Amino acid sequence: MEGSISNRIRTLRFHNAEMSQAELGQRIGVTRQTIAAIEAGKYSPSLEAAFRIAQVFNLPLEEVFQWDAKATG
Amino acid sequence: MPYREKTAWLSLIAMTVTFGPYFRFVAMRSMPGALPDLRQLGLLAVAAIAQALILGAGHLYLRRGSAQDARTPPDERDRAIMGRSISSAYYVLIGGMIVVGCVMPFSSNGWSIINAALVMIVAAEVVHYGVVVLSYRRQA
Repeated sequence: MEGSISNRIRTLRFHNAEMSQAELGQRIGVTRQTIAAIEAGKYSPSLEAAFRIAQVFNLPLEEVFQWDAKATG
Repeated sequence: MPYREKTAWLSLIAMTVTFGPYFRFVAMRSMPGALPDLRQLGLLAVAAIAQALILGAGHLYLRRGSAQDARTPPDERDRAIMGRSISSAYYVLIGGMIVVGCVMPFSSNGWSIINAALVMIVAAEVVHYGVVVLSYRRQA
């Protein structure tokens, strides 16, 4: 089964006093560029980083990250 | 541009401007000299010293320009890129060393083997830093 991970980080940052990528990165211990890559869907974060991001926004993991499954074959 | 991408570009440039001319000289020579061939040894030393100087000066310049980024430890994405680039370079290096160490001694000798080993090492380094640059460019 193939699929892709999408996320709402950009929207959530906007709704949290327009938090910058650098600030979010600082709070979870990654660089601004890594947050940009996660937002763009180019990099899938580790489970730990994903939980940390969800914790910053006080939301459950599934409200920040979504798995869009596509069956193959 | 991330600090680690800048240092990868620096390494690629340093290698190109030092070992590029060295390998060009080696390729243009009709017959490699017998060992020790001090002229060729001198050229190799010049290339290696020039590379070290360019890297040293370049790192100092980059650290001054982005001191905060330089002090930041690598995060999980940086480590993933590092791991990917090193494993790609490993295959180039191991393949090259098999040719140089196990095949070439039956057909070549002296500087031919040394230069072939150097080509493989430089190729592995180019792959290493090339994968780093590509990964940061593609945000992967």
